[in-house]
Amino acid sequence: MFKSLIEKNEKRSQLSIMAQYLNTCFMISTIEHEYLVNIENGVVKNVEEGPFVMPSYIFKLTAPKNEWLKFLQHTPQPGSHDIIAMLRRKVLKFEGDLHPLMSHLLYFKLLLASLRPAESKNEN
Amino acid sequence: MKIEKEPISGQYGKFKIDGIDYRIYWEEAGQGIPLVCLHTAGSDGRQYRALLNDKKILEKFRVVVFDMPWHGKSSPPENAKVGNYKLSTDFYISQIMSFINGLELVKPVVMGCSIGGRIILHLAINFPDKFRALIGLQSAGHLDPYYDISWLHRQDVHGGEVCGGIAYGLMAPTSPESDKFETMWHYMQGGPGIFKGDLFFYKFDGNIGNEIKKIDNSKCPIYLLTGEYDYSATPEETKSLADTIGIEMIKMKNVGHFPMSENPKEFLKYLHPVLNKIS
Repeated sequence: MFKSLIEKNEKRSQLSIMAQYLNTCFMISTIEHEYLVNIENGVVKNVEEGPFVMPSYIFKLTAPKNEWLKFLQHTPQPGSHDIIAMLRRKVLKFEGDLHPLMSHLLYFKLLLASLRPAESKNEN
Repeated sequence: MKIEKEPISGQYGKFKIDGIDYRIYWEEAGQGIPLVCLHTAGSDGRQYRALLNDKKILEKFRVVVFDMPWHGKSSPPENAKVGNYKLSTDFYISQIMSFINGLELVKPVVMGCSIGGRIILHLAINFPDKFRALIGLQSAGHLDPYYDISWLHRQDVHGGEVCGGIAYGLMAPTSPESDKFETMWHYMQGGPGIFKGDLFFYKFDGNIGNEIKKIDNSKCPIYLLTGEYDYSATPEETKSLADTIGIEMIKMKNVGHFPMSENPKEFLKYLHPVLNKIS
């Protein structure tokens, strides 16, 4: 689900300038599946899919798969269009040392949103 | 080279608010019924540029937008220090009334968004006879904190970056990117701790409970409009507020927390009929 963060695309390559000093490792969890994302100088260098035995990461974002799917639609519905909106609905949990996330909040929002399809499909 | 001039003029003036002098900046355009517009927390009056340029509105209304003290081009008071700004309900009311009195505006319409959408409820409770009408954008009676606002003012996090990141998510994915960017940019230009200081009013001091029931729509008409993508003051919360007051709310499609600046074209479709009723 999040493996393609490693793939180069225009949106993501433009983002690295917003996080050129950011080096971190974070976990995205759909509860059933986990993805460990490594970022170096604002560029996603590696995405590893679990299961993991002893994963080491700085912070973790956890939401059920169906909530991530709603977030990843081309035009998400209200309440699913932003990670803070999901936090407000209590369907997404932020855990760990949140400094890298909050100091690069827009970067992470746009990084995750870069996985949305470029064109709208039937999303119902 | 010929430039395209806008009809807006800007001015500075010294206003006494709660006994202290403040240098306030405001912009205005149009003539007729005074329409005072209140910007959101951590931003400034530039959010209302589309209204200040809307020919239809300017025919009947004198649109006036001021930057709150510490915001935009309005200065902090003398002896101000970074980190000690905290917006209280009383100070917010005082600055609005000082501004209206200072400009000698008689029975203006006041329209506010977000914190402005909250303060118009306080105005409706306390001074219903002073206003021709009140318009609340993104109004809710209260808001419980849903993220840790201490992140908005920490020396190890760039305030402009984090405030911009917060503001960006409050807008609709369907709003034009250029308008969203400008709305976010205003947040990125706010002073350290100002957005957080405003949220003290929005999430704590300005919360209204049962006092909402004191609002009498027959004394001063109230209009409530909320964008569907707002997760701070949600349409459901505005609906609950409107039900308590006994009025209808207007849910605006394809906009979020900053209708007037993130998607002015869409917003004006909803605002024009409201202003027609008022005029």
